[in-house]
This record gives sequence, C-alpha cells and structure tokens, in this order.
Amino acid sequence: MLSNSYSKLTFDISGADNVPIPGQFYNVRCSETKDPLLRRPFSVHRLISREGSVHLEILYQVTGKGTEWLSRCQRGVRLDTIGPFGNGFIIEDDVTNVVLVARGIGIAPLYTVGEALLKKNKAINAHILMGARIKGRLFYEEECREIGEVFLYTDDGSRGYCGKAPELLVDLLERKRLPERFSLYACGPADMLRELADISERFGFPGQVALEGHMGCGFGACLSCVCPLRPEYIRRNELWKKPALQWSEDGSLVYSLICKDGPIYDIREVDWDEWLA
Amino acid sequence: MSGSPDLSVYIGPMKLKNPVMLASGTFGYGQEYSEFIDLNRLGAIIVKTITLKPRIGSYPHRSTEVASGFLANIGLQNVGVERFIEEKLPYFEAIDAPLIVSIGGQSAEEFVKVADIMNRQRRVDALELNISCPNVHKGGMHFGVDLEVTRDLVMRVRDVTGKSLIVKLTPMVTDIRLFAEICQHCGADGVSLINALVGMAVDIKTRRSKLGRNITGGLVGPAIKPFALYLVWQAAKTIDIPIIGIGGISSAEDAIEFLIAGASAIGIGTWNFVHPSAMVEIIDGIETYMVENKINSLTELIGTLY
Repeated sequence: MLSNSYSKLTFDISGADNVPIPGQFYNVRCSETKDPLLRRPFSVHRLISREGSVHLEILYQVTGKGTEWLSRCQRGVRLDTIGPFGNGFIIEDDVTNVVLVARGIGIAPLYTVGEALLKKNKAINAHILMGARIKGRLFYEEECREIGEVFLYTDDGSRGYCGKAPELLVDLLERKRLPERFSLYACGPADMLRELADISERFGFPGQVALEGHMGCGFGACLSCVCPLRPEYIRRNELWKKPALQWSEDGSLVYSLICKDGPIYDIREVDWDEWLA
Repeated sequence: MSGSPDLSVYIGPMKLKNPVMLASGTFGYGQEYSEFIDLNRLGAIIVKTITLKPRIGSYPHRSTEVASGFLANIGLQNVGVERFIEEKLPYFEAIDAPLIVSIGGQSAEEFVKVADIMNRQRRVDALELNISCPNVHKGGMHFGVDLEVTRDLVMRVRDVTGKSLIVKLTPMVTDIRLFAEICQHCGADGVSLINALVGMAVDIKTRRSKLGRNITGGLVGPAIKPFALYLVWQAAKTIDIPIIGIGGISSAEDAIEFLIAGASAIGIGTWNFVHPSAMVEIIDGIETYMVENKINSLTELIGTLY
C-alpha cells in the first residue's frame, strides 16, 4: 500500500518470452471465482532487471472487486497473468525534453517513460505535472522527483496549483516555464486528454496518450474496446502498427481496438468528440 | 473398454472429432487465439459473423462487466465477405478443425447472398445463420423472434447450400421449441442455442447506460448458464437434429451438463476471454469423465438426463 487506495505489486517475470516496453499492459486474473469474471488490464509501471531476474512492477488503485482481491494477495502467490499486450510508447532517440501529464493512477505508465529516457540519455529534461482531486489523494511525488521537476495540482487547491492538469499546462506554457520544444506523454481521464489534445494543437507540440477502455479479452478477439480515430489523420500518418482498424463503409469513421492498436495513441489521432459522445 | 473413448459427433455431413467448439463472436478470425491454443485440437471453429459489406459495429463503450457476466454490444463489427475470403480464410488452410462461418444480414436477400458465396468456399465446412444478435437494428434478433421470418430464411439458405447448416437461436422468445422445430422442419442440420440475452447496466452517477449510446447489450457468461441449459433441455426433447449448447460454459463439468441435457456439442464463448486456452482443458476433461464413467462413445452420454 502506497497511499490511500494506491498499491504496488511486483511480478517476477524472469524467463518470460517477451520483455514489455513502456505503455504495454498485462491482463491479470483478479479472482478465484467467476465474480469478478474478466481479467483486469494493468500497464507496465517499472521493469527492473537485476542479477538475471526480471521484475515487473504495476501500480494500481483499488476501485472495485478485482483490485480489492488483488490488494489482499499475499507475497509469494502465483498470479495468473497474460501479456504483454498492445503498442508501447514511441520514445525517439533524440528526445531530450519531455512533459509527463498524469492524474491519479495515470502516473503508472508515465513513470516508466521518464525512467526509460533517463537510461538512454542522462541529460534528459523531464517536467512532470501530477495531481488529484484533493491533497490527500496525491501520491508518488517523491519517486517522480527522481525523474524530473514536479508540478503538483489539486482541484481544490489544497496543494500545488489550484485547478486541473490542462489549466496548469497552459499556465506553465504561457509563463514559459517549459522548454520551447518538448514531447508530451499523458495518462488520465478522457476529458483531460481531450483538453490536452486541444492544447497540443494550439501550441504545436507532439504528444502521446495512454488510453483506458473496457476490455473483454485484451488480445483482439472480443472487439469491445474500440476507440474512434480521425480518418484524415490515420490516412496521413501511421506511427504505430494498427492491425485491427475497422473502417465504416463510406470511410467517414474508423475504429481501432485499444488492446491491439493502442493503448498508446498519438494525441491528435484520437477522435475525442466521438469517444466522449 | 479398450482405447480412448470416441468423442466424435456429426452435425449434418460435418464430422467433429470432439464436441467442443468456439462460439461465434468470441473468437475474432482465429489468429487471435493462435498463441494460446492449438486450434487443431478443437472440435470446430466458428468465426465471427460475416456480413456482405464490412460493418464498423456499435458505438464505443461497448462493454461492461456485470455479476458473473459480460454485457456487450459489438453490433456485428466485421470485415465483410470480400476481405474475409481474401485475408482471413487462407489462415485456416493450415488448420484441420472444421470451419463454420457465421453469417448475418439485414435482409433475407443478404443472408442468401452471403450463404451462396460461402457455400463456394472449399475451406468452409458449415454455415451458421445468426438470426439472434441482440445488438443490431435490422436483422439479427428481429429475425429470430419471428417464426415466419425464421422459416423463410432457413428455407432460402437451405436452397443454396449443401454444407451443414446450423441456425443460432435467440433465447428472447416465449417458446424456444417452436423455433427449434421450424429449423428442423426447414432442413437445418443443427441449432445453436443460446445467443445472448438482452441486458442493461446503468451508471447511477451520470444516469447514463454503462454502454453509452448503445444503451443495451447482450448478456453472456456464467450468469446465463442455468437458463441456457434449460432451453437446451427443452429443445432437445422436441427435435432430433443436433443441438450446440452455448451459454456460460467454463469447465468440463459445465460442458457435460449440457451434453446430458441433450446438446450434441458445446460452444465456449466468454470464458475464452478469461482463459484463452480453456477449450483444450475442457476437451481433456470430457474425455477423462468418459473414461472414469466407462462411456465408450459420446452418443451414450448425450441426452441422458434421468
């Protein structure tokens, strides 16, 4: 238990066939019965290799029956886990300035982006915007300070900037507190991500977002976790391999599967209006 | 008893080496499971419903979990006949298990067209008519709750195919026996039951459906098993053609219950999402049960409820 309802879990995945990359996720069975039924997806938080063993850390928040069951698991239990699944973040070699924007548990997949960049390039310059509704819900601040400069926000102003992440980002941009050129990585509620997408258009910086969606399987069979994308953008660019795109007959709509084509997307390719309708 | 028990079963001219098949709509186009399971072990494979033209399917926020169940509205998203034949069908050339293609349509004409095209595909062993999808505005369940429409469709598709013809029935009718009887009467080789029930879940904070603009969805998973079992038992008392029992099966024990109630084969759906390799364990579990109970052939087990 880290703080309030946030917890960390470490898996020994030594000997696993695939080593995950930041942004990918694992599907974990969080039950010994049929209720809860489906596996729960958790993004890779950290990957630690030492002395021949590989440990995977996930960060999670207890939000329901599945995560509550997980929080009761004792050290040493064998968890039924499949993965890694999905596309990870693209981290270009020449990136030096990054801005990570998270709300709550959204920091989980972003932390590892900062860490991966640090491993590649010691001269990295990371700014981390992290926050929550109230002061008591803030967590992981100290860990993030090891990666870069942290800007906190709370909705009620009880700590850090009073307001939400997009407002804080605009404030920092306008006060020129961020580098002139940077790449944004974000994870949090969809309405926050949509606002960040607008800001990315307005200020002209690139960004990648980690999306969350209700999944049945996690491997592209159930077709539940669709995310609408902007057709004109998809026709022009395809940064990630997207094997599961489904176009409407007239080409005016295109749906992707978050589990196969995501969960990481270019911030500008998501059709936020359709997603949030 | 000598050797292994005989798990094989026929559905029309199609022979299954064991009674365990994938339920349509939960299996994509096959490749999705290839890293988890040897598809050759399966009795048969039913791919996701194919329509004449590609369908983008339902709005986003298509699913939510409910107590021991999964509520989903996919809306028959599929690549359409043309891409299926070009891009998906060749994958099955390397697989021995019989291939059943589920077909859908918004009109009888569309069903017949798709059936006719699929009938000409050598690799396709059987057709399953999906007249029971609860999540489309035209066709689907709207066809499957109407006896006359069901009769007309089965007859017309029967006319264009000599391959095994299976009809997937909806539980959203007052008497499943009437529908099962009509399918048999019109020349179907088998019926699959049940497709999803219709369900809802509401977010009380936003007062919106948990399935967003879709509002309703199909309820599947262990939650519906007792009801599915009941309908299989009812239908089995009425018809002689094989029944494929589907609905919340998650173990060999569940599968055997369906066989005893009268199903000749069973489909695994939602449970594949939880345990993508479960089907092989279920096949092995049925075989073990037969050995332990000195059952030589599956036919000695099917429909033996006292």
